Amino acid sequence: MKDDSVNHARAARDFLQDHAHASWHDSAIWWVRHKRDVQAAQLPEWEGLRELARQIKAHTLSHLDVYLQEFEAKARANGVMVHWAADAAEHNRIVHGILAAHSVKKLVKSKSMLTEECGLNPYLETRGIEVIDTDLGERIVQLRHEAPSHIVMPAIHLKKEQIGELFQRELGTAAGNNDPTYLTHAARTNLREHFLSADAGLTGVNFAIAETGAVVVCTNEGNADLGAALPPLHIASMGLEKVIPKLEHLSVFTRLLARSAIGSPTTTYTSHFERARPGGEMHIVIVDNGRSDILGRADFYESLRCIRCGACMNTCPVYRRSSGFSYSYIIPGPIGSTLGPSRDIKKHASMAFACTTCGSCNNVCPVKIPLADQLVAQRARAFDAGAMAKGKKGGVLALRTLLGHPKLFELAGGAMRKIVPILPERLNSAIPYSRPGRELPTMPAQSFKQWWQQNRKKP
Amino acid sequence: MSRDAILARIRTARPPATALPDIHALPFVQYDDRYAAFAGLIANLGGQALQLAENQTIRQAVAAHFPAHGRLVDLTQAGHEEADSPHAWHDVDVAIVPGQLAVAENAAVWVSTPGNRYRSLYFLTQKLVLVVPRAQLVDTMRDAYRHIRIEEHGFGCFISGSSRTADIEQSLVMGAHGAMAALVLFV
Amino acid sequence: MPCEPMKIGLFIPCHVNALTPHIAIATLELLEAYGLDVDYPMAQTCCGQPLFNNGDLKGAAAAAHRFSQLFAGYDYVVAPSSSCVSHTACHYPPHTPGYAALQPRIYEIVEFLQDVLNVSALPKPVYFPHKVSIHQSCHGLRQRNHATASELMLPYQSRLERILALVDGITLTQPQRRDECCGFGGTFCVDEADVSVAMGQDRIAGHAATGAEFIVGAEASCLMHMGGILRHQHGTLRTLHIVEILNGKAAA
Repeated sequence: MKDDSVNHARAARDFLQDHAHASWHDSAIWWVRHKRDVQAAQLPEWEGLRELARQIKAHTLSHLDVYLQEFEAKARANGVMVHWAADAAEHNRIVHGILAAHSVKKLVKSKSMLTEECGLNPYLETRGIEVIDTDLGERIVQLRHEAPSHIVMPAIHLKKEQIGELFQRELGTAAGNNDPTYLTHAARTNLREHFLSADAGLTGVNFAIAETGAVVVCTNEGNADLGAALPPLHIASMGLEKVIPKLEHLSVFTRLLARSAIGSPTTTYTSHFERARPGGEMHIVIVDNGRSDILGRADFYESLRCIRCGACMNTCPVYRRSSGFSYSYIIPGPIGSTLGPSRDIKKHASMAFACTTCGSCNNVCPVKIPLADQLVAQRARAFDAGAMAKGKKGGVLALRTLLGHPKLFELAGGAMRKIVPILPERLNSAIPYSRPGRELPTMPAQSFKQWWQQNRKKP
Repeated sequence: MSRDAILARIRTARPPATALPDIHALPFVQYDDRYAAFAGLIANLGGQALQLAENQTIRQAVAAHFPAHGRLVDLTQAGHEEADSPHAWHDVDVAIVPGQLAVAENAAVWVSTPGNRYRSLYFLTQKLVLVVPRAQLVDTMRDAYRHIRIEEHGFGCFISGSSRTADIEQSLVMGAHGAMAALVLFV
Repeated sequence: MPCEPMKIGLFIPCHVNALTPHIAIATLELLEAYGLDVDYPMAQTCCGQPLFNNGDLKGAAAAAHRFSQLFAGYDYVVAPSSSCVSHTACHYPPHTPGYAALQPRIYEIVEFLQDVLNVSALPKPVYFPHKVSIHQSCHGLRQRNHATASELMLPYQSRLERILALVDGITLTQPQRRDECCGFGGTFCVDEADVSVAMGQDRIAGHAATGAEFIVGAEASCLMHMGGILRHQHGTLRTLHIVEILNGKAAA
């Protein structure tokens, strides 16, 4: 499970201690950003496509109740059972209720950040249901009792040696064989048995089509398909923002999703589930869990356009150098740093400050969420809620006062220029700016203001 | 019931109405040679594209591509084998499946086989052969969504190459859960 | 050249005033060399960006109000800082008294030379026979369109490259990951000092790998941050603000 009490700056410092690993993490994830650039450049219409995606999502959010009802009616007409959950607890209760009614002992799951958000796995496990995450990365972190560190690449924080040791222990692979192909195929063999013996499959939802009542799930591994095609029971859990109006709109979103997420022209499988497989049952759980609150906030509702591609994480220079576990919310990186603080600003305030405001996330986002702007807006909520780092609000208020008093402001600058050069080494390095690896600026003899008075000041 | 409460909250919360854009107003990429685009892409996605030669049957082309194989199921043949449960396909080595349409921009093939009872076949098989009419090769997903229909038991799927993952150190591995190899036969 | 004498209000960011006054002087001299009437309103302090970026919207609004009053009488406001210009031009509350009229007249120095003066030559010829690696600062890049950001699939352009083409003998280059952030980020550099330093080290390594002798940019704070890391490393690479090259002061 995720440590939701973590402070970003402190956790990032720990992560950076292993310089070689941190550097690898940065390069591995930058490579995905690079592949995204290569794919996006293949489409002359790329920027227009992003704008279309933004507009479709914006329209949908502004008619969300209408499209959800249309979706529900169509899904019911297809013979699918539709449930509504106000919060995580209700979602878990509903899912458990369906599983219990079918006497399910083993559930195979494909990747779903929503069920991570709801804490579904531990809820079911304490009620005697075996839950098997089947996405390879999710399976790895499940076996390690960890949360995913990235929403698309859950195990990107791990090296193959760590996975080799884990699989040796858990799956009986050969000691010292850390070849990714070998390890992947060992997991394939093991998970096949689980697919064939599972009583139910649970998938996430990438898109829900109001026009047809179908849900669409995109994977590269095919795990969602096996989980939905083999057992007699398929449950699809979706956040209520996943609905889009028409089937044809998928031609915008499926073109953006994999190119943005992994730098591939599409996922291997883009599966449209309209009805249960013959002899089976299909359920859809539509989950609010705070989304309707975000919808009502003018500064933040645009974050609900997110299609969970993870491109903002891959481009984020802070995420790449601090990893997903430095973020207190289950979704890390730029999108998590607006969604988390939207839910609980006191708990997740440090995420809003884990950002240089470089704005690269805004530019890669396939639905054009102004992520960097939302993070800055979250800081205003942190300021108002008294959720800033210790002592910081006082500093900000002192600066506010100084800005209104030019003479005092200039005096403060002058004092700094005089004192810093004569500070003993020990004191100097206690100044927060002087982290190992960086020197304080050289102090000039005078400010520009003083120079201007001597050289240009008109009488 | 949370349904009505959720919908009521959305109605109070929803932002001012904006218009739905016309997705057909934006020109999408077009390919001079769709087959070349498709074939070039799928080669990097754990698959291969082939044009069925004159005087060659599908089975001959498959036999040439996968010379030694185990259990073979061919859904392109009339009166093909049926399974009595989705699990019954678990030991299939080669599945030959009709694809209704192929997409040049991403090497995807739309699969929704009329009457096929258990789609598990597409994902359990070790090697997947998709047979697509050459005339049904379109430029982009927008063209594809104009034509596709869900003909199977409530299921349809775009499949592009082999099942794959890069979850271990970003190393691309074919055969995560589904097919280890994919062949698209244009006929 | 302008037909009517225009009055320029020189906007000097607080950190330039206090820590790198030579950049302010170079900016002033460059504008004066184009024959412009430049004034420096003495009561200026800080544009308020540190308050805004730390969630103090009330303090930031007061700073916006001060700024709008202070510079109201000038034809143009010009600053050697792409970030502070971005803040004043993009993030001030739109209804700040006097701001609506002022906002379109706020320019970063390179923008001003190119878009207002339409310069086709430097005031006096500059010979700078060195290889320089261009540092695109994030706010100039992504909020002021100083260059095409690498994420966007749009035709490439770069203001800094265009104006440096007026310098004789110079060789321009860019690092791999041509516009990744250096990690300064205002108070981020203190709040998240470890990530900040790690980013700066990587950015410097990228610039150094080009074989350049100088890192050149249009934002003093990024240069100060990288400069602090460079001094710690005792490397030979140096940072220069673009105005130091354009006014001939950096010519060796």
